[in-house]
Amino acid sequence: MPNSVGKRFKPTRYIPVSTAATLLVGSTTLFFVFTCPWLTKAISPVVPLYNGIVFLFVLANFSMATFMDPGVFPRADEDEDKDDDFRAPLYKNVEIKGIQVRMKWCATCHFYRPPRCSHCSVCDNCVEEFDHHCPWVNNCIGRRNYRYFFLFLLSLSAHMVGVFSFGLLFILHHLERLSALHTAVTLVVMCVTGLFFIPVMGLTGFHMVKNVMHASCQLFLLYRYIADPRKKIPITLKPPFLRPDLSNRHVSVKVSDNGIHSSILRTKSKTSLDGVDDKSIDTQPPLPPKADRYNQLKSPLTSSEESSLSSKPTNPSTPAMYKYRPSFGTMPKVHYHATGEKIVMSENGKPSAVLEERGHDYRSEPNLDMPDYHGTPLHRTYQSSPFQLDSFSTTSRSFSLKQGVNRADQMPLGGSKPETVTSTPHKGVFSPGTLSGRNGSLSYDSLLTPSVTPSVGECAAHPGVPSMGFHSPYLPTKMCHVRGPELQRHIGPPSYSPVHVGAMYGRQSPLSRDRDPSPVRYDNLSKTIMASIQERKELEEREKLMHRHAQAYANDSGVFDTCSGAAYGLPPGTCYPDGSREPTPPVCGSRDNLMGVGVVGYAPRTPVLRSSASSLSRAPRTSTTSLHTDPGGASRTVERQYRSPVHQTHHSPTAVPHSPTYAHQKVAFISALERADSQHLGTREGLCQGKVNGQLKGQARDCHLGTPSGTPSRQANVKKVTGVGGTTYEISV
Amino acid sequence: MTTELFLHNLQELRHSASLANKVFIQRDYTDGTVCKFQTKFPSELESRIERTLFEDTVKTLNNYYAEAEKIGGQSYLEGCLACLTIYLIFLCIETRYEKVLKNISRYIQEQNEKVYAPRGLLITDPIQRGMRVVSLQSLQTSVCVCECMWSVEAACSSEAVVSPP
Repeated sequence: MPNSVGKRFKPTRYIPVSTAATLLVGSTTLFFVFTCPWLTKAISPVVPLYNGIVFLFVLANFSMATFMDPGVFPRADEDEDKDDDFRAPLYKNVEIKGIQVRMKWCATCHFYRPPRCSHCSVCDNCVEEFDHHCPWVNNCIGRRNYRYFFLFLLSLSAHMVGVFSFGLLFILHHLERLSALHTAVTLVVMCVTGLFFIPVMGLTGFHMVKNVMHASCQLFLLYRYIADPRKKIPITLKPPFLRPDLSNRHVSVKVSDNGIHSSILRTKSKTSLDGVDDKSIDTQPPLPPKADRYNQLKSPLTSSEESSLSSKPTNPSTPAMYKYRPSFGTMPKVHYHATGEKIVMSENGKPSAVLEERGHDYRSEPNLDMPDYHGTPLHRTYQSSPFQLDSFSTTSRSFSLKQGVNRADQMPLGGSKPETVTSTPHKGVFSPGTLSGRNGSLSYDSLLTPSVTPSVGECAAHPGVPSMGFHSPYLPTKMCHVRGPELQRHIGPPSYSPVHVGAMYGRQSPLSRDRDPSPVRYDNLSKTIMASIQERKELEEREKLMHRHAQAYANDSGVFDTCSGAAYGLPPGTCYPDGSREPTPPVCGSRDNLMGVGVVGYAPRTPVLRSSASSLSRAPRTSTTSLHTDPGGASRTVERQYRSPVHQTHHSPTAVPHSPTYAHQKVAFISALERADSQHLGTREGLCQGKVNGQLKGQARDCHLGTPSGTPSRQANVKKVTGVGGTTYEISV
Repeated sequence: MTTELFLHNLQELRHSASLANKVFIQRDYTDGTVCKFQTKFPSELESRIERTLFEDTVKTLNNYYAEAEKIGGQSYLEGCLACLTIYLIFLCIETRYEKVLKNISRYIQEQNEKVYAPRGLLITDPIQRGMRVVSLQSLQTSVCVCECMWSVEAACSSEAVVSPP
C-alpha cells in the first residue's frame, strides 16, 4: 500500500502525457519532413525556421511544465503537527488583508493549507496556488510552473496555427496529388492539428482571460487602495483568483433524492475544457470515488456551515429552532436548495481536489466539545471503535490516540482525523458559547447549541449535543437524525450533536476510516430546515408515544435487532454514496441503539421487516453484513444488535441515551413494518433515526426513494421522515 | 538526597520540556499572501531568548523574502533570457530569487551560530517546510529529556528499593 510519500508506479498516469508528447513531436516531425521542403522552396526558408523556433519553444515549455515542481509543500513533520493533528479543528481562520479566510486542515500533509493551496489527489501533495492537475503534462499546475504551462499553451496554439495553415497551403497546392505520400501525410498532420485545435485554443483563451482578469483586478484594487488609502478596501470586486479561497472554488453539488450526485465543478481554473485538463483535484486526500463526491459535497457544506453559523447561542428547545432558522437563511455563502437541486457551495481552500480535501472535505467532524467532553482530546470519532456514545467522552482519548496511530495508515486515504475534527469557530459566526472550545466552531455542537443543555449532561451519549441553534442548514437534519432517540427523552431537544453524527461516522470500522466520515448528508438540507421545526414538535409529541411503545416492545428486542441489522443490510452502494459510513456511530452512546434507529429509515427494508420477526432475526443481519460496504462495521453493529436488546433494556433505566434508542429501535421496527408515508423529517424520532447512522441515513435516503410507499396498516402510527442525507426514516407516531 | 536529586531533575525536565515541542512561527497573512512570518513572540520562548532578538530575526527574514519576490528589471531580464534560450539559461545562471534564498539561508545559519545556539535554540530554514513556518527548536531538549528520564528512573527505583515503609 503506497504511503503518502512513496507512490506506486501507475502506468495509466503516463498515458496522456505520452500521447501528448508523441502527437506533438510526431506530428511536427512529419510536418518538417514532408511539408517543409516544399514550403521552403515555394515560400521561403523562414517558414521552417519560424516553425522550428516555435516548436522548440513548445517543447521547452512543455518540459518545464512537466518537470518543474509546481510548488509542492512537503509533508509536515511529526513534531509540527502533533499539536494540530489530534485536536486541530478542521479549519483555521486567518485574516488576509482584513478578510477572514479559512484554511483547511490537510489530512494528508498535516498542516493547514495556506490560501490558494490545494491538495492534488493525483500527485497526493498540497500545491501552492494550485490551478489544476494537467494530465497532458502529468503534473500539477501550481505557482512555480504556471508560467511555463501558460506559455506552453500559447506556444502550442501558435504552433498549431502555423502547422495547420502551412499544411493547408501545401494541400491547396497539391490538390491534384492528394494520394501522394507527402500530401497524405500533410493531410494527416492537418487533421491531428485540427482535432486538437479547439481544446487547446479554448484552454489558452480561458487562461488568457483568467490572467487578464487577474491583472485587471489587481490594478483595480491597487487603484482603489491608492485612491483612498484610509478606507479599508471592501471586497466588492474580487478577481476570480484573488478572492479568498472560500469563493475560489465552487463546488456544485447536485443532490438527488437517491443520494448525493455531486457534480463537483471545480471552477478554480474556470476551464471549460474539462476534458483537456484533469480537474480531479481534490481538496481531500484520495478517497474512494463514492466518498469523494460526498466529501466534496460535505466539505463545501462544512465550510458553508461555518460561515452560516450564527453567533447566537441557542437553547435546545424547539423554539430556538425558529429563532435560528432565519439566520440560517441569511448565510451568505450557502445556498441551500431543496433536495434535488443544485447546491453550490463556495469552498475554501483547494480542493484537494475533492479529496482534500480534505474535500477536503467536509470532513469536519462534529465537535464533541461539549462540556461533558471537555478534556476529551479528540473528537474524531472516525475510528471505528465500537464505543458507545455514552462512553464516547471517556473513550475519546483512546480514539484520538488511535487515530493518531492510525493516521499514518490513512494518510493516502485522506485521514479522517483532521477532517473530522471540528474546525475552529468561524470568527464572528460562532457564538462564544458554542462548545467548540478547543476544537473550534466547526463542531456541530457549536453549530447547534452553543450552550450545553442539561440534557447533555444527562446523556453521555450526547457528546456535544448540538444546540438547537445551529445555523447550518444541515444541522437540523443532523440533529434530528442523530438525536432522535435522545430527543425523545428530552423535552427541549438539545441540539443534535453533529458530533454524534460524526461519531456515528467515526465509529465506523477501520475500513471506513479512509472515507470521509462526514456524518451529515447535505443533500436534503432544505428539506431538513423546512421540516425541522415541525419535526421537533412532532418529535416531542412522539416522545411520549415512544416511551409507551418502549414498554410494549420490550420483548421484541430481537426483532429490533433484526431490523437494525436489516437497516444496515441495505447495500451501501445503492443508498449511500459513501458506503463506508455504514456502521452506525452510536448516536445514543451505543451502536446497538444506532443500529436500531437506523433501521427505521430504510424503506426497502420494510418488506423484509414485514415478514415475521423470526425470519428477520437472522437473515437481515447476514444480508446486512454482506451488503454493507463496510462489513466490518456492519458486522460490528450487527453483533451489537444481537447484544443490544438485552443491553439496551438494561441501559434504559441507567443511561438516558439508551432508552430512547431502544424505543427508537422499536419505533424503527414499527415504522419499518408500517412504512410511514411521511417522507420528511417529521418527527424527532425520525430525525434521530436518520441521524443515528450517517450511513443509515444515507442509505435510508437512497432506499426510501426506491421503496414503495405503501405501508401496511399501522400507517397512522408510522411516519416517514427524511433524514439528513436523504435517509428516510419511518417513525412510529 | 535521592529525592532531591529526583525533584531537581524533574524541574530541569520541565524547563527543557517546555520547549520540547518545537515552536512554529506561522505565516503572517495580514498583508496578503506574500511570504511573511509572524513577528509575535511565542510564549514558549519567554525564558529562552530576548524578545528583541527574536523579532529582529523574523523581521530580517521578512525583508529578505520581500526583496526576493520583488519584480524588477533583473527579473524581467531573466525571464526574457530564459524564453529566448528556451530555459537553458537556468542551467548556467542563478536567478535573483535563488540568490536571495541563498542569502537567507546564510543569514539563518549565521543567526543560529551567533544568537540562537548560545541560547540552546535552533532556527530552521522555512524553505525546508515550504515557507509555511519557521521552526524553532531547542537544541538539547531530546537529549536532556532522555538523560533526565534515566536518572529519574534510576533514582526512583533505588529509592523504592532502599526505603520500604
